Amino acid sequence: MDVTIINPILSAFTEILPQLGFQQIEKKKVSLVGSTFAYDGVLLNIAMIGSIKGVILIGMSAEGAKSFASKMMMGMEVVEFDKLAQSAISEMGNMVCANACTQFSKIDVGGLDISPPTLMMGQGQATLPVPQAIIIDFTCDSIDVKIYVGLA
Amino acid sequence: MAIKIMIVDDSPFSRTIIAETLTDGGYEVVGEADSLETTLEMYTKTKPDIVTMDIAMPEADGFEVSRALLRQDPKAKIILSSSMKDEETELEAKRVGICGYVQKPVEADNLFEVIRKVLSPDTLFQELLSRGLDTFKEALSQNITRMAKTSVSFIEDAEIEDPYRSKGVTTIIGIIGQYTGTMILDLSFEVAEKIAETILRRPAKNPEEVLAMVSELANIIGGIACSMLNKREKALGLRVSPPSMFHGNSAELVSPSVKIQKSLAETEYGVIFLGVGFKKGSTLWM
Repeated sequence: MDVTIINPILSAFTEILPQLGFQQIEKKKVSLVGSTFAYDGVLLNIAMIGSIKGVILIGMSAEGAKSFASKMMMGMEVVEFDKLAQSAISEMGNMVCANACTQFSKIDVGGLDISPPTLMMGQGQATLPVPQAIIIDFTCDSIDVKIYVGLA
Repeated sequence: MAIKIMIVDDSPFSRTIIAETLTDGGYEVVGEADSLETTLEMYTKTKPDIVTMDIAMPEADGFEVSRALLRQDPKAKIILSSSMKDEETELEAKRVGICGYVQKPVEADNLFEVIRKVLSPDTLFQELLSRGLDTFKEALSQNITRMAKTSVSFIEDAEIEDPYRSKGVTTIIGIIGQYTGTMILDLSFEVAEKIAETILRRPAKNPEEVLAMVSELANIIGGIACSMLNKREKALGLRVSPPSMFHGNSAELVSPSVKIQKSLAETEYGVIFLGVGFKKGSTLWM
């Protein structure tokens, strides 16, 4: 898999998060995994369809997701990962992935659109529709966020 | 009462032309703005029915202003006016949630037509909502019957209880086109195993084989349902993503931005959950 495929997603993530109130967005590591991996916490699924196809997942721990949503809501306390918090995380994923489509179009990967986000809350295994997925580990104001890229 | 319109454009000349066109057409121009700040302020003050939005502006462009405006009021109806008309601009506008698009220089009849359609109920979308779930049920029923040789009956049609708790194996397929959407298929591993055994005519060798079968089944159901919908209404142009799967799940799932309609398919192997939801992005592209 061509790892440069993640560049538009990196740009999108680092462009959108400051708009949502995050100050320090640090890319920790990029790694390749097989198509199946474990998840625990909150995992957002957004499909991307066009000249490339597949899925982008954004994952964080249950606690991380609450802090993340709280940050997005200007520090409002998030005790439960409730509807409002779920909607906040989904909206973030939506914005990042829509922006990634724009970033892709700048490098002539055009005609992309995204599906509405679906949020998994719990734990289990995920299998993406590609032989290998790329995981990008970020820390956003000390919240660990993983982006799984399964595009081809 | 006249329809209230606000014009966002950095060029006073363009604003004057559009305002005159609209006033001549019987619309009420309630405000004008030339930047992000003035747009948000003027929108709150004048509460227009429609906002016309220029793309190229010196600081925040039309997309950025639209995003900010839609964050403030998700129901805002924005019509983009631009001299550019290419696929990428249209797609970007759709992704942002802009309702319509007119090319500059703005022709009066064209603009009025777009305004009329943006404000009228979207029958194509209403039809998709009323027909969507049934079409997916039909595709599921046909293919399960054909491949797994079992009859299917549907035992429940209702809005998904929120959040839905997975039975263990979840497949999600994304849909794009005139509207975007999601199909969710969920079943227990035991049910999946039994279906796989029938299709393969032998027990599955390993869990991967069972999951591959579920993924393929979901892919076929999603693909067939969307082509059935497209065949009936070409303008839908629905396309599906390859499936992503979640298994060994102890998880709840929600789709915060879409209302998911659900159904439970009863087979001799057990129950299969089917969830389908569509979302309105754009309403009109001219």
